[in-house]
Amino acid sequence: MKVTDIIEKLGLTVFSGHEGLGREITGGYSSDLLSDVMGHAPSGAAWVTIQTHRNVMAIASLRDLAVVIITGGETPGEDTMVQSNEEGIPVLGTALNTFELSGRLYSLITE
Amino acid sequence: MKPFRADLHIHSLLSPCGSLDMSPAAIIRHAVARGLDMIAVSDHNTTLHCELAVTLGLGAGITVLRAAEVTSSEEVHSLVILPDGEARVSFQAWLEQHSTFVPHDPKIFGDQVVIDSDENIITEITHYLPAALDATLDEVEAAAHRHGALFIPAHIDRPSFSITSQLGFIPEDLYIDAIEVTGPTPDLLYPVIRNSDAHIPEHIGRRYTSYMLSRPSFEELAMALRGEAGRHIIAAER
Repeated sequence: MKVTDIIEKLGLTVFSGHEGLGREITGGYSSDLLSDVMGHAPSGAAWVTIQTHRNVMAIASLRDLAVVIITGGETPGEDTMVQSNEEGIPVLGTALNTFELSGRLYSLITE
Repeated sequence: MKPFRADLHIHSLLSPCGSLDMSPAAIIRHAVARGLDMIAVSDHNTTLHCELAVTLGLGAGITVLRAAEVTSSEEVHSLVILPDGEARVSFQAWLEQHSTFVPHDPKIFGDQVVIDSDENIITEITHYLPAALDATLDEVEAAAHRHGALFIPAHIDRPSFSITSQLGFIPEDLYIDAIEVTGPTPDLLYPVIRNSDAHIPEHIGRRYTSYMLSRPSFEELAMALRGEAGRHIIAAER
């Protein structure tokens, strides 16, 4: 499943990283502790979080994640979006909370 | 110049997690008994016990600095150590402006009371003080420095509410005066200090830092963190 597929099916906003919209999603990870994500998120994952700090992009790149989805209607900082564009890893947004978005994403990915 | 012992992270009974034994007077009594020369009263997102502690400290011959342990929107805890009373008033207003006013239940989290010098309750704070502010870590750092304060990410080696747990690593463009650790000294380029993070009287001074200073004061501490004019950190003890 590609990033563009989940944008369409889950009605997500694209904040940045348009170059990476064709990236393949092979799993998911929901966590707001960046230390946890750094140690445990599988490569190719869609990362669901409410954290918007620029370190999110460094860790997404380090773990080779497919995409970052910011929940709860939060908006990433300018520096986060700049780094997302540089890395080509999209940052998406939703008004849904992490539980709701993760449940829908899980269903889509395991369909 | 000579060595002075400082414990710059102590919670009073105003913090919900602070023991009711932690009145400013009790804090000072224990700090003096422990041989500390300088302390900071650093409650969660509030400075409302600082002035009483400063006054009592003057009488007891111990330097008390005004401080707060601030929770950023990423839930990173940082010590903000303020230069004087004027900065404290202004920083307190900034804290209140950025409060998210999460309702507080004293039965679950503990009491949040401000007391006077006779230990009578003046005010009870009705929102949960440690809740994250609506200010990012960058904004907390900027506000601290705008007030001439020292900005010190707290207990960075702890698995919760630390810059490391919340953000994975220290962003290198963040302007940090020192880092506070609870365990071994990390392999990092920042000045390293240790403080007790005491919530009960017995913990005051359980960790502290010795500084080479001409006298215990905010200005001297700031110089020591920058390693200026012979002032420096001697050792962070645990």
